[in-house]
Amino acid sequence: MASQIVEIVSNEAKKRNAKKILEVHLVIGKLNFIGKEQLKFSYKILTEKTLLESSKLLIREEEANVKCDSCGYEGSLNFEDDQTFHLMIPTLVCPKCRKIVEIIKGKEFSIKSVKMVS
Amino acid sequence: MKGTIIEADEGEVFDIELEKDLLQKNKQIAIKNKKMLDENKIIAIDIMGSIGSGKTSLIECLADKLKGKYKIAVLNGDLTTSIDADRVEKHGVNVIQINTGKECHLDANLVKKAIDQLELSNLDLVFIENVGNLICPAEFPLGSSKRLVVISVTEGPYMVIKHPYIFIEADVAVINKIDMAEAMQVNVEGLIKDINQINPKTKVVAISCRNREGIDELIDALDL
Repeated sequence: MASQIVEIVSNEAKKRNAKKILEVHLVIGKLNFIGKEQLKFSYKILTEKTLLESSKLLIREEEANVKCDSCGYEGSLNFEDDQTFHLMIPTLVCPKCRKIVEIIKGKEFSIKSVKMVS
Repeated sequence: MKGTIIEADEGEVFDIELEKDLLQKNKQIAIKNKKMLDENKIIAIDIMGSIGSGKTSLIECLADKLKGKYKIAVLNGDLTTSIDADRVEKHGVNVIQINTGKECHLDANLVKKAIDQLELSNLDLVFIENVGNLICPAEFPLGSSKRLVVISVTEGPYMVIKHPYIFIEADVAVINKIDMAEAMQVNVEGLIKDINQINPKTKVVAISCRNREGIDELIDALDL
């Protein structure tokens, strides 16, 4: 994943004759599995001696949103707070009517924008 | 008419909006795989699950029960070796081994390469055994019709709540090795309750591959 980011951003930089990349802005949904710390770690290594070296990888987390077809609820996903394990367990149950909900947001993983110097 | 290219001045800092989906590549190939399988009226089941939960045993049980009704192929994903493929082959179905090398999951492209080797017109059902892992496979759809997750009681009582996100992706979940539940002091009902709480849409079936218990219920849950 990190090498994909480096490849895409490098190509964009070449297209625009940029000399250096300053920032790369990502969005990662709360419902996908991309580990932020691992990603940042790999990014740092992969960008060494490239146009992206010492650029900032800025990650915005996208909230998980769901929609209920039964009662029309649209909003954040319910998490059952399990006191026994101090865990927040996601649940696809409507917080209002307890019926099943559909995920409408929270699985994104994308590069939003790049800041570069010409 | 040629468009004018406006270039930034030397040393100027500028922002580029990219909106580039990093999971798109896999998704696109998965859609192609699904289309190819649909055109040939083939049902494909992606079997995900933890290491040692019994994914291969489950495929062996399903192959034995279903080979009279369907023409079956199995794609076996593993980092290395063809141990699983060799096992499954003995059950009289077509098997293709996919070795990922170092990858912890199958992706749509690896599955596409395997599908290309199959004689699709001569098949009705494909089982895709994913690499043993309850995390990464969830992020990589392969183009299957259904996704199944396998866990077993020998992994202890917390497998579900420790890995909730893979169950969000699961159409069917299997709790295997229920013959060992008492010895392991694991409450099967508790595991079922945990899955229902995370995803009430997931059909849960408790089975024992060793005793061939629950296999018919699983076949029903998979609509096979």
